[in-house]
Amino acid sequence: MYRFLMLVGLVLFLPGACALGYSVFQGPSSWMTDARTFWGTPISLFVFWIGLAHAGTLISAIFLALDIKLDRRTALIAELSTLASLVIAAVFPLVHLGIVENFYMVAPLLDVRGIFANIRSPLVWDFCCIAVYAALSLLFFATHLKARRNPTLEKYCKPMAWLLFPLVLWVHTVVSLDFATTFVPEWRGAFFPVYFITGAIFSGLALVNLLLCAEGYRVRLLERLQLICSWILCAIWAWEFMLKGSFCASAFIFAGLLPQLRMVAFIRESKWGRMAISASVLLGLFLERQFLVSPEFGSPAMASFGWVDWGMLAFSAGTFMLVFFGMLLLLKRFMEVDGSYFGEVDGRDIAEVEEAEHKDSPVRLGVEKTKKGFYVHPWSSEEYHVLRLPLLLGIAFALLFSLWVWGRMPFENVDLSLANVIPLFYPVVALVTAVALYARAYFVEKAFALHRIEKILAASVLVLAGTCAGAFYAGGASERGAARDVLSENPENRDLPVQTWNARCATCHGSDGKFNEKFVREFYPVPQKLDLLRLDSLGEDSLVNVILKGRVNMNAYEGRLTYSDALGLVRYMRSLAEKEVANDSAP
Amino acid sequence: MGMDRREFIKSCSLVAMMGLLFGCRKVSLDALAAGEPGLAQFEEEVKLAISHAKRQFDLVKVARPGLLEIPGASSVNRFGMAIDLDLCDGCGKCILACNVENNVPLVPAEDAARGRFMHWIDMHGSAPFMCAHCGKAPCERVCPTGAANHTPDGLSAMMYKRCTGSRFCGANCPVQARKFNFNDARKLGLAHQFNKNIPLRDKGVMEKCSLCLHRLQDDRLKFKTSLTVGATAEEWRGRGVKTACSESCPKNAIIFGNWLDDESPLVQRTKNRVLYAPRELANLDPSVVFMRGRR
Repeated sequence: MYRFLMLVGLVLFLPGACALGYSVFQGPSSWMTDARTFWGTPISLFVFWIGLAHAGTLISAIFLALDIKLDRRTALIAELSTLASLVIAAVFPLVHLGIVENFYMVAPLLDVRGIFANIRSPLVWDFCCIAVYAALSLLFFATHLKARRNPTLEKYCKPMAWLLFPLVLWVHTVVSLDFATTFVPEWRGAFFPVYFITGAIFSGLALVNLLLCAEGYRVRLLERLQLICSWILCAIWAWEFMLKGSFCASAFIFAGLLPQLRMVAFIRESKWGRMAISASVLLGLFLERQFLVSPEFGSPAMASFGWVDWGMLAFSAGTFMLVFFGMLLLLKRFMEVDGSYFGEVDGRDIAEVEEAEHKDSPVRLGVEKTKKGFYVHPWSSEEYHVLRLPLLLGIAFALLFSLWVWGRMPFENVDLSLANVIPLFYPVVALVTAVALYARAYFVEKAFALHRIEKILAASVLVLAGTCAGAFYAGGASERGAARDVLSENPENRDLPVQTWNARCATCHGSDGKFNEKFVREFYPVPQKLDLLRLDSLGEDSLVNVILKGRVNMNAYEGRLTYSDALGLVRYMRSLAEKEVANDSAP
Repeated sequence: MGMDRREFIKSCSLVAMMGLLFGCRKVSLDALAAGEPGLAQFEEEVKLAISHAKRQFDLVKVARPGLLEIPGASSVNRFGMAIDLDLCDGCGKCILACNVENNVPLVPAEDAARGRFMHWIDMHGSAPFMCAHCGKAPCERVCPTGAANHTPDGLSAMMYKRCTGSRFCGANCPVQARKFNFNDARKLGLAHQFNKNIPLRDKGVMEKCSLCLHRLQDDRLKFKTSLTVGATAEEWRGRGVKTACSESCPKNAIIFGNWLDDESPLVQRTKNRVLYAPRELANLDPSVVFMRGRR
């Protein structure tokens, strides 16, 4: 079954990849772009897939954090769909760029020219938040996957769920703010985060239900939730219609009306009926994204939805099927161990099965939770005890980070306010907490062992992250003082340049500004004469730069001289040259 | 069939000679292949653009632009323009002058049919409109790479080589003053480098009105090199500079100048006039404004 689906994926993928390649070659003119906002299909596909990428983990983490029983297989499928969707979501922002090979300029990395990524841009928040989210969902999935073989890891699932629950909401809010903070009238609105998150959960549920159909079983709870989500989304659409008068009829039909057919028993009980409903929801939500991203949708000023757009759609679906079912085949032996059970396929209540399993398992963790109606205060719960110290570390680190950025230590010439740091606050907390959590589990409690390959992988990821952080810091601090120095230049002190000149420059340039020929002729190329004409044609700025940065045989004096020192030297040089002109014309 | 050494060297040097001569050509290969469009085609396109004129702006009264509120802003210079709606008759000469000055390329026929032009100046109603160089520019705020940035003199500038083409700035401009290079105009034979001092922009880069930044820079450089030692009293105020559009306006309805310089024609001409800006920009501290009626 999986192999067949992978084949279908391949059939979709190959022509899709061709279209994608063509669109990268041809640039944004090849797909449907909005006449007004310049955005188009890749961005709507990005929003669509990033929504799917948030839903899986969100469903799994929420259910785990709220103690709602969801069988392991379904949870793992949801999480895996998250990771596969993230891969696709990462492709489209790159395709969207006008100059794809310049993508690295978005990352705030070291730059000796003192030009620095604009950290005020929502895109930079996006980049950082999604990177953190991807790392943590991978960690969560791996923990969940290995927990069955290594029950001590079970202890870390729930704390991770606690961490991820707000993170998912946070990151998707940041994605929605890309739109909501702009001046495009159709995109403005404080309800956008709620709107995006609802859409994401809705589409994610539809995807999970569709995948469950492929697995051959169903989870009624998720189907009911899907129905409820459609109502919430319809309410938001009604709200938007009343507010702005915009309404996407096709999205409403596919994602608003058709899902109501679940209430018809005949359709609900048929596997094909359930598949059709889920597929229609996905289609409707994609159309809705398209409508949202391109406010001029359907106007004559816009290009039409052409073969490149279809190709990109096919590419995303094909890649998802390939990655998802490929991973499923690869991880089959980890997912299907003894005691894993499938949804409701055998009709037994999940809680019963789980309780029976817990009785057998040698480690009895979280046992009190399996008792029904047993309430544990959050602050005295087990996961809080696990999470307490790492969380404290994470919050402390995030506070320090905010203070550091707010104090404008690294960013002298960027007008940065606290509001620009807030989007990164919780992701930083979550990242540090998770790292501390697993570091403790590995080094102190020795809860799990790593294979050699995993060790190398983990070490290289850490080194890479450290390098990025270092480059971020260094990039921010380059050429810090220069801009300020210009404003406070003070050429009043006339003696200082003379002393500096005689002490440092006269060896080569001569105390009278003529070259020390004996010494200088050893050099090649022979330096230009510093006569009045040449000094004037170069201008003060460039001469100051020569002094500070050096040129050919001249050393760089940056760090030993300030900008105003150098400026004083340049002016002194000019006065020497003037004297020479006066001397020449005198006799 | 043999070739002796002499023949061989002769033919080799002939080939090398040909190569050298070919390398000395003035016109680039791309231009040779596509052929550069002439001025007449640009005129045609401007006429087409005027016929596609967008609907009139909803203008609201604004205060006179003052000091900039960005870090490192100059306290003596803030360049801007005022467009006199009482004088302007919408002839569109400014668009052509701007295209020629800044090497703005033509667009392919299908884009032109859709009303998508690269012109830095658009016709709104019957008045020209270009980037307003807002003091609180929303485009600069969202640019992820810092390619869109503000100069201390109040120009909203573009670093073309820094731009990755995320088009976030274009989406966030409330009046769509930014233009995106969807096509490689040079390869398609749509560009003509009238002004050799201005580079042709690459495909995938955003561009917009630069307020003829190069003219200001030239003037500043001239001013600086004529400075004498010790005489630092005078600051550069950009006096005497005019943008291409204001130079070309037959009615003298576009006035360029320095909002902070009392001697600037901009300040003189806007005295006792009521200043307007598009409603979308009124809160963004625009440097390019409209004026109509006397106070």
